Amino acid sequence: MTNPLDLNSENKSGNRIEGGIDAVVIGAGADGLAASAYLGKAGLRTVLVGAGPELGGRIAAREIAPGVTGIDGEHLITVLDPDVISELDLYRYGVEFAARRLDTTYFFENGGVLRFDGDLTQAALLNLDDDSDREALEAFMGDVLETAAFLRPAFHGGGYGGAASSQQRALEKAVNQAPPEMAARLQRYLFATADEVLRARFDDGQLRTLLLAETSFRSAAAPHEPFSFMSLLRRYAGEAAGLQGAAAYPKGGAVSVIDALRRAAQGAKVDMRAGAPVKSILIEGDRVAGVVMADGGQLRAPIVIAAIDAAHAFGEMIGPGVLDIGLQRVLTARKAEIASARMQIILKGVAQDEATRKNMMRRLVYAPSPEALSKAFMDARAGHVPERVMVEAIFPTALDEGAALDKRQVMSVMAHPLPFDEAPDDDRREAIRSAILDSIEMFAAGFSGRIEVEDLRLVNDDAAAAGASVAAYAAKPDVLQQWALASAVTGSPRIRGFYFCGPEAQIGAGLSCAAGRTAAKAALRVYKKGAE
Amino acid sequence: MIFPAEDFFTDAPRPTPLFSAVASESEANLWTTINGWTAARVYSSVSNEYETAKSGAALADLGPLARYAVRGAEAAEFLGRLTTAPAVNLHVGESARGLMLNDAGYVIDLAEVSRLSDDLFLLTLPAPHARHIALASRGMAVEANDISGDVAALGIFGPQTAGVLSAAGLKSVNETTAASGVLRGVETAARPIQFGAMPGVELIFPKEEALTIWERIIRRGAGAPIGLDALEVLRLEAGAPRPGLDFTPAGRSGASPRTPEELGLAHLAPLDRGWFNGRRALLEKAGKPRRRLRAFAIDAEQASPGAAVYGDGKPQGRVTSCAWSPARKRVIALADMDGSSTGNIYEISSSDPAAPRLPAARLETVESSLAKAFADEQGYTQGLATDFRR
Repeated sequence: MTNPLDLNSENKSGNRIEGGIDAVVIGAGADGLAASAYLGKAGLRTVLVGAGPELGGRIAAREIAPGVTGIDGEHLITVLDPDVISELDLYRYGVEFAARRLDTTYFFENGGVLRFDGDLTQAALLNLDDDSDREALEAFMGDVLETAAFLRPAFHGGGYGGAASSQQRALEKAVNQAPPEMAARLQRYLFATADEVLRARFDDGQLRTLLLAETSFRSAAAPHEPFSFMSLLRRYAGEAAGLQGAAAYPKGGAVSVIDALRRAAQGAKVDMRAGAPVKSILIEGDRVAGVVMADGGQLRAPIVIAAIDAAHAFGEMIGPGVLDIGLQRVLTARKAEIASARMQIILKGVAQDEATRKNMMRRLVYAPSPEALSKAFMDARAGHVPERVMVEAIFPTALDEGAALDKRQVMSVMAHPLPFDEAPDDDRREAIRSAILDSIEMFAAGFSGRIEVEDLRLVNDDAAAAGASVAAYAAKPDVLQQWALASAVTGSPRIRGFYFCGPEAQIGAGLSCAAGRTAAKAALRVYKKGAE
Repeated sequence: MIFPAEDFFTDAPRPTPLFSAVASESEANLWTTINGWTAARVYSSVSNEYETAKSGAALADLGPLARYAVRGAEAAEFLGRLTTAPAVNLHVGESARGLMLNDAGYVIDLAEVSRLSDDLFLLTLPAPHARHIALASRGMAVEANDISGDVAALGIFGPQTAGVLSAAGLKSVNETTAASGVLRGVETAARPIQFGAMPGVELIFPKEEALTIWERIIRRGAGAPIGLDALEVLRLEAGAPRPGLDFTPAGRSGASPRTPEELGLAHLAPLDRGWFNGRRALLEKAGKPRRRLRAFAIDAEQASPGAAVYGDGKPQGRVTSCAWSPARKRVIALADMDGSSTGNIYEISSSDPAAPRLPAARLETVESSLAKAFADEQGYTQGLATDFRR
């Protein structure tokens, strides 16, 4: 029997009720770290609790072979919220870009190759033979970047206004207040399929093919489906290293952003606790009152921010008994069908020719034909692994001097679309591996012979590492559906003091931190109002 | 419990379990459809049936209403979430009225909850809401089964209700406590119900026994069947809104949703009762009704739904339902009024444009009295008071 007076006994944390805390942030991923840093910086006594043994969530460094460290989660930065960088001073806390504005080389099924400048406004610099295509592309990119910039606030996610449809209302307001030419364009872009828009703008098949690939990359919406063009606007609304629509590689990989966020939170005096799983969120009346830890202890606080997936936050920690039924409908309506996969490959040898060396400093994309892409989506939806998939590849060892290896290269690959699988068996993993390697062979013939080690990472691996539900890491549906979901999870709970910034609150894929920032800002507004 | 509006476009109405029995009593042979079930509008005459309810015992086939048996360890919590009825506080045998609200705090439907045992409840709704109920039950230890077509339901209203029940052999049943037992060899549940604000008892028994039970009650008692048209008069006298007629349930196409307060039913969704679906949204809307459903007595022999209601010479609302009340000797109406309209004396437009407007006055009904008492009580703490004195 344990002695209740013995403070060293296991019983002590179970009985402990900690007070004097202003805010608890659940989830130590990028959004949780960002949210806690904002709260701590504003002077709130903040505790960040993460279930895993380490802080950082799914983006983490891991040894993929003896002496070689790979980065799980994201391999490029495309949509990191610039406000988070400046407000949390992330450059001071260690974020540094090894490569900004990565050029992209697109490879096509027929052997064709096109290069895009990393600065999309300079798209005309690419190696197109036909001047009319170049002009059409320049005009198109101008339109798209302007529209994407206009819609950027709507892509930040998070309603927090109390109403489930606040995102839609914000969008309606934006459309209504837009200049006539922009409003007409918005109307067209909002509802159109990517295929329709691109067919109307380009005669060139390759331009259409590469833009369709960019549109549907990491999205569950196929390019021929309604609202799919919004995915491209979402992609180009993001910013990396100060440039809209660009892709950048940070020194040390994406995990360096996590490290900087952690240092920012430390600097803001956030009490960070890893290996501290939360059992439930305390609701008293209509207010949040803190959290109950898995060991039975309690952290009492008037603000709780959940930076974990919605199934855990709402279904398990809050429980259906005090949730609005409509929110439950939204959470259970979507069935995940499509996912992306990461593969990190160690290649023997070094590049022999100049062209290859240059390409290794770029982002390489294999863009299947529109027909093959549609078929890939259909196959993946039906639960089959497509024969060919889109591939985005970079060489961290070439981009980042600090990551360079002796006579070896690391190639980091993101592949899409693949069937979503909660628990893939060995056969499924092998099929995915083959599809990815075959697709890379399409633009790098003979590359398979140089493979020393390959490390396949599927969504269930990421979910297991972060202690999240697998569905949270499935590819996101079209942007309109994401808006509805984000509005529901951030606006509908209406539990005072509770804010949500898990993956469902983010519009689109990628490391953004915008949801964490929005949740923290909303909490601070209410906190300051209450303090006045 | 109130019937929803009739549905005129049902292709093939289904007979209720009591249909064969009640059809044999129908002299008028005037039928309609509710929720896809056949329902009698009139059996003999509206005035006779109305009189029976007022002085004897009226028997209503309640088969068209939707019924769910809700069973499980969390049945009370589930019903407390799904409806505003205080299911958790009900003792075995007790019933309570409530509302089903959507997340935004708007009324989806009326509801009535009866506790039959510790973990078994009967949920009665004007219309089926299977999907909403299934969604609400996810993640909770509860099972909700639609038993609408499997049981016969007979409502008994009027001062001689207890006499009819006693004559039928259900001596343990009274108008305040639900009970289940064996009525002449047939498993029967009885529970107190309210039609509008008029108390009564509902007998529920297996559909196979519908004719037997009906025969026994008719043979022994002074009861006579009552149709929808007479029930409509009783409803309007009680001031109870009818879904689909006085308000469009939230979620239906073209619905202009209403909060409980806007329907004069704030007393069915008290904000200090604990959590129910839509409560948090309702907190933000409390005390700010955009519209108000009000009861009027119109000094005329007839009026029409849709007629404009004028206050201070300006249109302020529209009649949603009305009927001649033999007790009041006037037309009783419910009207959807502007939220800021606070007068007592109004005028109603006549169906003949050349005729003068009809004088009308606010009417205090059982439902509005409940709302007033509730508002008086809440007024001190929540500022929800509705001013009935003007």
